[in-house]
Amino acid sequence: MEKDGNLKQKKRKREKTPSSSYADGERKIIASHSFSFRIKFVWHNLRGKRPQFIIGLLLTAITSIIVIVNPYMSKILVDDVIRGGKRDMLVPVLLVMSGVVLVKTGLHMLKIVMMEQASQNMLMAIRKTIFRNIQYQEMSFFDKIKSGDIITRTTGDLEYLRHFCAWVTYVTVDMVVTFTAAVVMLVYVSPVLTLALISVLPFILLCSFIYNKKVAPLYRSIRQRLSDLNVGASENINGNRVVKAFAREEYEKEKFSHINGQYMKDNMRAAFAWQRVVPVIDFLAQILTFLTILVGGALCINGSISLGDLTLFTGLTWALSDPMRQVSNILNDMQRFSASADKVIEIYYARPLICDRHNAVDTKERFKGKVEFRNVSFSYAKGPQVLSNVSFKFYPNETIAIMGPTGSGKTTIANLIARFYDVSSGEVLIDGVDVRDRTLESIHRGVSIATQDVFLFSDTVDGNISFCNPDMELEQVYECAELACADGFIRRMPEGYNTIIGERGVGLSGGQRQRIALARAIAAIPSILILDDTTSAVDMETEKKMQYNLQHLPFHCTTIIIAQRISSVRNADKIMILENGSVTIGTHDSLARTNRYYRNVCELQKIEDLPPFEPDEANGSSPEKVKTGFDDAIATEKEVG
Amino acid sequence: MARNKYDIDEELEKGFDFGKLKRSFVYIKPYKWFMIGALLLSALSSILALVTPTLLQRVMDIAIPDGNRGLLTRLSFLTLGAILLSVVFGALRGVIMSYCGQHMIYDIRKDIFDHLQQLPFSYYDSRPHGKILVRVVNYVNSVSDTLTNGLVNALLDLMNIVFIAVFMFAMDVKLSLIILSGMPVLLVVIFLLKNVQKRANFVLNNKSSNLTAYTCESIEGVKVSQIFNRQQENMEIYSRLNDVYQKAWFKSAYLNNAMSPITENLKQLVLALVYVAGILLISPSIEVGVLIAMATYSSRFWQPVVSLANIYNNFLKTTSYLERIFQTIDEPVDIKDTEGAKEIDNIEGNVEFRNVSFEYEKGVRVLDNVSFTVKKGESVAFVGPTGAGKSTIINLISRFYEPTEGQIFIDGVEIRDITIESLRSKMGIMLQDSFIFTDTIAGNVRYGKLDATDEEVRSACRTVCADTFIEKMPDGYETGVTERGGQLSQGQRQLVAFARTVISDPAVIILDEATSSIDAETEKLLQTGIEHILKGRTSFVIAHRLSTIRNCDKIMYIDKGRITECGTHDELMAKKGDYYRLHNAQ
Repeated sequence: MEKDGNLKQKKRKREKTPSSSYADGERKIIASHSFSFRIKFVWHNLRGKRPQFIIGLLLTAITSIIVIVNPYMSKILVDDVIRGGKRDMLVPVLLVMSGVVLVKTGLHMLKIVMMEQASQNMLMAIRKTIFRNIQYQEMSFFDKIKSGDIITRTTGDLEYLRHFCAWVTYVTVDMVVTFTAAVVMLVYVSPVLTLALISVLPFILLCSFIYNKKVAPLYRSIRQRLSDLNVGASENINGNRVVKAFAREEYEKEKFSHINGQYMKDNMRAAFAWQRVVPVIDFLAQILTFLTILVGGALCINGSISLGDLTLFTGLTWALSDPMRQVSNILNDMQRFSASADKVIEIYYARPLICDRHNAVDTKERFKGKVEFRNVSFSYAKGPQVLSNVSFKFYPNETIAIMGPTGSGKTTIANLIARFYDVSSGEVLIDGVDVRDRTLESIHRGVSIATQDVFLFSDTVDGNISFCNPDMELEQVYECAELACADGFIRRMPEGYNTIIGERGVGLSGGQRQRIALARAIAAIPSILILDDTTSAVDMETEKKMQYNLQHLPFHCTTIIIAQRISSVRNADKIMILENGSVTIGTHDSLARTNRYYRNVCELQKIEDLPPFEPDEANGSSPEKVKTGFDDAIATEKEVG
Repeated sequence: MARNKYDIDEELEKGFDFGKLKRSFVYIKPYKWFMIGALLLSALSSILALVTPTLLQRVMDIAIPDGNRGLLTRLSFLTLGAILLSVVFGALRGVIMSYCGQHMIYDIRKDIFDHLQQLPFSYYDSRPHGKILVRVVNYVNSVSDTLTNGLVNALLDLMNIVFIAVFMFAMDVKLSLIILSGMPVLLVVIFLLKNVQKRANFVLNNKSSNLTAYTCESIEGVKVSQIFNRQQENMEIYSRLNDVYQKAWFKSAYLNNAMSPITENLKQLVLALVYVAGILLISPSIEVGVLIAMATYSSRFWQPVVSLANIYNNFLKTTSYLERIFQTIDEPVDIKDTEGAKEIDNIEGNVEFRNVSFEYEKGVRVLDNVSFTVKKGESVAFVGPTGAGKSTIINLISRFYEPTEGQIFIDGVEIRDITIESLRSKMGIMLQDSFIFTDTIAGNVRYGKLDATDEEVRSACRTVCADTFIEKMPDGYETGVTERGGQLSQGQRQLVAFARTVISDPAVIILDEATSSIDAETEKLLQTGIEHILKGRTSFVIAHRLSTIRNCDKIMYIDKGRITECGTHDELMAKKGDYYRLHNAQ
């Protein structure tokens, strides 16, 4: 029943966020787990520190029992030493009492150490697994779960797991032990009265159970709101430039204020729901005093129990009522724990859909650099088809340029070669082997992309360039920077290669960022180097130098250049025009002669010395022809050369 | 401008003190009557809690020995009543406290977020975004309990201590002094521990903020990590940050847990002293009843002291969070409206730079004594090598930065004398990176004009030629996009960002590489749209594809922070200088 309810809620929530519809159906998101599974999850991650955890709980049980010693000692002190005049017993009794406190607090500290170690170890294990998971997730995963949400899971949610492990568990043990010990002692004195007192317990449990039912969805909702806060704030921080450019500060404030208010409201709703139950539970727990007086008094008058017995009862009522009152606290924390644990578990077990196949080839040596697309079709989930039945081959050491209208799938080709996405049908092969039969690691070792949306890390320039290999020699870093025409401006920066650049490379101009990204890509010494519009913000002169450098790289590599400028592509061995999901391949001259799109672009960019235009309409849509055309001719020429 | 990265701790410029707690009273003040109410309710319920034992005593001493069932029933129902009242009071207090606490969280978070909106780019550029994020979300959440329950309980405990102390002294001065003798010891302990604890909390906050920052950045940069097979190294770094964090956590946790065992032992020692003194040292003068009473008082006196010690720990932790929060709220707003800055309704679009110099970092001149005038309706293009200062000029016009020297005028008014909001809302600025919000496509376009109708949105998209691809998407204009752009290609994102700028109907348009990722054909189509938009508006364009700028009224060649050439395309070509060289390179 509960499970169904949660599922429904999950569905509703998913409908609300537009982005999550993106990959619906691709992956089943686990909605909710049984409580025992959550416990198992915690236990699983406690491994390595389980002894500490158990010892911590045992120590709790021991301290709970020790607590009972001192009230007894006080009784001796008052009755025997003070009233009875046995002064010689004073010092021993006091020593025992002080000793007990010392031992108790000592054990308590020891328990804290144990529990902290166990719980922190658990956190670390979970965090690392989550981090690892994130590192290997395919790109569509991040369209579904926003970074703010992942942050919520690794901070706020884990905090509730920690709280559960380092607090809820031992308080529960303390509660149960104290309660049991008290019951045992009291049953021994008067079973009837004890029974009368315990009769309250079922009501408390019933109340807690009802509360539990009521409040569980509230905590899930609070959890969601917390995540909204993180997502909202993080987007505002990341988009701060746009916010300012449009002077939308007030609008942003209002938007955030709404999220902030929702979080507050939900928290208050939960608190009020809680405050409706707590008094009842509290009252039921405290009613024990009333029952002790009423029933105990009557029994006493009856003569069934002695006055001393009654004193014992009144003195121990707390040992029964405190745990009972604690029940609601514990349940409250458990609810929070459950809401958070599900979120953590979801991302903990999120396995990437794109991963190494069984028996995937892990080529250690460099690729030769041949890339082939064989009847490849591709569409992003639910989106329109980007590539339809495309076939082409790039040969080792070639420089290939890709051009095409916005959204025609240029970046998609790069994404498919590096296997950031899998084809919908057909095959992508590197050196004749399907990329899906290679390990991702070996693909990424051989394929290096300077991405369009340049992401730099808040690290030094040196650290960013040597990203693929932090142990890289400085000399090599310089060399890569030089090849990318970045050395000059880097050296002009106040701390040169040791200048820390802000996240995403803010503070640098677009062209500077692109050049650092290119240096980073070159530093990987790839067999296939892909420049995804990496020169768009670089000035012409620098670009020319860059092109020269790329043709004279100190290592063999197939270079794929995605660009918009004729100047960036005209010197390539092959130029591929991507249009309406299909490809046309040629050289500058041949395309300028026959391809309408390319011809157009040339004219738009005022390219001179163009051959006469002889449109060859079939060329635009017939990949077959392309394959058998000059493509192979060039290939043979290459192989011969 | 010192930049921060994930493994560098952020130091606080100012000291670290309880003054911060005092400052937080600003947030408590609006709820002071609620707080006082809660305090009264708590006081009442603790008084009621004192009633029960006396009732119990009468049961033991009178009702039972006399066998008086009537009295027994009456007394037990009185107890029931007292319990009921105290439970109700307790619940009311709980409601009030969560009301206040949640509101305080809301207020603090609103303040910090609102302030962040005013901070300049340099603030965001100089630290990992994750470090800002934890302050807005996590830190704020951590302070409310101390500011509400912590405060009320502390006051209650203090009242309790005074109350009991009065009773003690009224009963026996000598023994009372002995009971009090533990206090100086406790104070010394607190004093000794205080600085270590503060430091430990401080370190812990830093480490946790580093960890979050790294997580944030790793998520944002995950594609790069995968391209370069960096996962293993990243995991090692993460692991290292985790280790450091864990160490800091243990230190802080152990130190914070040290207080209560110390006070508890002290309490026991004092109790023992009371007995020893009462029985052995000053025995003739002390009655048995008094001694027992004093022993009870002793534990009653120390109870709130122990609890205060715990609250004190929480205060320490909370101040370390407040410290960070206030630090952010206090972050100076470098660029703000000057006194007497005017709102402007309309901009003609005359722009003048008068001897403007600019440095991002002291001593490194990015712009060097730049002067030019642009008349209404003119279009100006900036060309030149990367890093020459083109984007900087644009950033100065829209006042994202202030010139280090010199002045900038719009329609003859210095831009410092115009309110930032009215200045920027008249400008359409399209930046290099086209940031897209998680929203629908229509929602993103509407960001430029919040009350735009659907037709306006569509027409803006038509102007920038974005309509074709948008209409091909499954949900058209209502297609959801994410911060990362999800299914949109870079070029498409630029078009959406462009539509967003167009819809805002600006008087001055600034295009910083607005079309770099857009293919030539679309750009051609776009050009017609752009020409239409630029008509009658002043515009500044940065583009590397010279074909996009050759029709501009003025082309300025920027090199090393100076304007080296200025004129129309034909003039500059005739001059055969830098521009000519650049042009021929294409």
